[in-house]
Amino acid sequence: MSKTKIEEVNRNIYDIKNKDEYDFKIKKGLTKEIIEEISKQKNDPEWMKEFRLKALETYDKLELPTWGPDISELNMEEIATYVRPKTKLNSSWDDVPDDIKDTFDKLGIPEAEKSSLAGVGAQYDSEVVYHSMKEELIAQGVVYTDMETAVREYPDLVKSHFMKCVPVNDHKFVALHGAVWSGGSFVYVPKGVKVDIPLQSYFRLNSPESGQFEHTLIIVDEGASLHFIEGCSAPKYNKVNLHAGCVELYVKKNAYLRYSTIENWSKNMLNLNTKKAIVEEGAQVDWVTGSFGSKISMLYPMSILNGKGAKTEYTGISFAGKGQNLDNGFKVIHNAPNTSSVVNAKSISKNGGKCTYRSLVRITENAKNSKSSVSCDSLMLDDYSISDTIPVNDIRTDEVEFSHEAKIGKISDKTIFYLMSRGLSEEDAKAMIVRGFAYPISKELPVEYAVEMNNLINLELEGAIG
Amino acid sequence: MKNIKLNETPVRTSRNFNINNIKLENIKIPNTLKEFKNVTVSEIGSKIKIGSNINKFNLTYGLGEFFVNQINENSNYKANIVIDSKTSKEVKIEFDFNSENDSLAENLEITANEETNSTIILKYESKTNIEAYHNGIIRTVAKKNSVLNIIILNLLNELSNNFISIENHLHENANVNYYIIDFGGKNSITNYYSNILGENANNKLNTIYIGRKNQLFDLNYIGELRGEKSNIDIEVQGALKDEAKKHFKGTIDFKKGCKKATGNENENCILLSEKAKSLALPMLLCSEEDVEGNHSSSAGKIGEKELFYIMSRGFEMKEAMKLMVRARFNGFLEKIKNENLKLKVLEEIDKRLE
Repeated sequence: MSKTKIEEVNRNIYDIKNKDEYDFKIKKGLTKEIIEEISKQKNDPEWMKEFRLKALETYDKLELPTWGPDISELNMEEIATYVRPKTKLNSSWDDVPDDIKDTFDKLGIPEAEKSSLAGVGAQYDSEVVYHSMKEELIAQGVVYTDMETAVREYPDLVKSHFMKCVPVNDHKFVALHGAVWSGGSFVYVPKGVKVDIPLQSYFRLNSPESGQFEHTLIIVDEGASLHFIEGCSAPKYNKVNLHAGCVELYVKKNAYLRYSTIENWSKNMLNLNTKKAIVEEGAQVDWVTGSFGSKISMLYPMSILNGKGAKTEYTGISFAGKGQNLDNGFKVIHNAPNTSSVVNAKSISKNGGKCTYRSLVRITENAKNSKSSVSCDSLMLDDYSISDTIPVNDIRTDEVEFSHEAKIGKISDKTIFYLMSRGLSEEDAKAMIVRGFAYPISKELPVEYAVEMNNLINLELEGAIG
Repeated sequence: MKNIKLNETPVRTSRNFNINNIKLENIKIPNTLKEFKNVTVSEIGSKIKIGSNINKFNLTYGLGEFFVNQINENSNYKANIVIDSKTSKEVKIEFDFNSENDSLAENLEITANEETNSTIILKYESKTNIEAYHNGIIRTVAKKNSVLNIIILNLLNELSNNFISIENHLHENANVNYYIIDFGGKNSITNYYSNILGENANNKLNTIYIGRKNQLFDLNYIGELRGEKSNIDIEVQGALKDEAKKHFKGTIDFKKGCKKATGNENENCILLSEKAKSLALPMLLCSEEDVEGNHSSSAGKIGEKELFYIMSRGFEMKEAMKLMVRARFNGFLEKIKNENLKLKVLEEIDKRLE
């Protein structure tokens, strides 16, 4: 039989490099003076400056994780944590400088805005360069803006929520984020407002040897609903870039939030991102995640089900190719009665790539009559890739239904044989199996991303299978 | 009294998950160990030899350096068992703990030679109200085409500390089957490692446990598959009452080259009290494409429908629950061929579920 070959992500679009031009770039490293300078450049209010400095102190105290991928190549002395692009925040694409606009054009953002989005934010290096939302949502009181504007214009709302869901002492890279954060999106959906068309923020890091630390803060008030899409990419450089963003989601009573992410960072990127949601009574948060890029990724979105009957679903796929180590997964804390969680995770490893599914399900003493179901499948496409599953299931009370199952293996020869006996060629049979494997995830992705993902699964035949 | 950190998992995960190792406080560890006299060894034929000449060793994993050093330096029971019997043979070693024999550091080395078939039964029991200490290390080598069954029955009382490290090396076509009945000890901590080297080598590890009062079980089971078409099945069934806790850490590691190997891990925990706690980490690690690995894990109370059905047939609630737990253990019990032992286990199950 022939060897299955799945193509790598076509990175032609993502790898477009613009000239490293900027209005201001902070010197490399991480010192009190650097943090003060970032704060000055960003014109922070005093409380935010103090917050940053305290976060730096926490960063200095915390240790690097003793588990997961080796990130020893990360040297903060070589990373510039703030790069301000040569443009201000614009509300018309016409005002965005040509080279930056051209990049977002190629990524399809303005086109998607016209056809299928209710609002768009676009960040280039450390600052948001474009933000816009449909008039009817503004009229309904929906707020969708960059974080800097939110800090200035909604100080009470920001102050009472900023890094409360993800406290700075959570881990070292959250503390780093607290010290150097810049850009990101703020969304507030008022009580009862249903935002039917998604909002999307796109994060592009162009500058080499730099980091992106955007902060996303979303509050979906009681009975409201929202679908938020986050996309990210960067061109590839020889030296390490760092992404340590932070996403905080507050889903109030009976509200609904779907948070979709397509992560397509370049393969020199260390993606050490943190995402967490606090879900109140009767509310639901759904995470849909496609993880294709990065050299190393450590990303474990987390739902804290704090209210009675709160729900969460996680649907995620990771695709690790040559030189990639994608350590992804999900965490959920059931902290109230009648809560439920459903996890459906898939991974594909090929060409020496490593995928790890790492997770936590914790059902606390308060979570009587809660249910959790976890399923993770891993597909190995050659014999020099690696796939690990490391789930922790922490059940602290008896009135629960918890189940977890995982499978690991290659494309089944029997299935290929069956499909071929029905008239399919071998390559079509394999493509169908891999697409079928990814389908439960791809069907949940926004349509343009689902098409892109399916395009990845173009099978070629080469050599012989074992 | 000693505070110790032990039983590290082969791969670490976040420290906040509290499962990479276990920390025990105020563990009474004897400084000196006098000879453990209360050992009964069953009749053995000429095809099984038991000696006491054992060289110093290291373990690939194990509970921790302290436990290996104690055995190497200060063991108070040593047995080097060599099996040459081609027909099925059974050896039973019983350790009865009492006030005169309250501490045991035992060093067992078992070699199942080619084409042999044997069963070793190891029973640890403390009938009196003493705080017993048990540090046992069992190392086995199963040579080509051998069948080695090992049954471990832990019936220490709930004041005692039970530490066991197991290391197995399986060669071509060897079958090593473990049956662990883990009922005793205030703390019962087990590290189990199988190096499944040979083609078609097959390792089955079956465990049942029942925890009550403040008992803690920390089970760290590791199987590394290296041989082509090799297999490991880990099946763990348990029930927790009162404030008992269980940590299950299961690792099936498909090493490069173990083509067509299979590994299955199934862990189920019945929670019989709202204060009982089940923590599980069923890991699958895979560096080989042509393999099949599965794991499943579940936790929760006994299904209300099932309970209702049994109670509608005239059983009291307590009896119905007992029946359900016994039903979960049935698959395990059916594999135990020694009828006396099976009866003893059933009796202990009933006693512990009262």
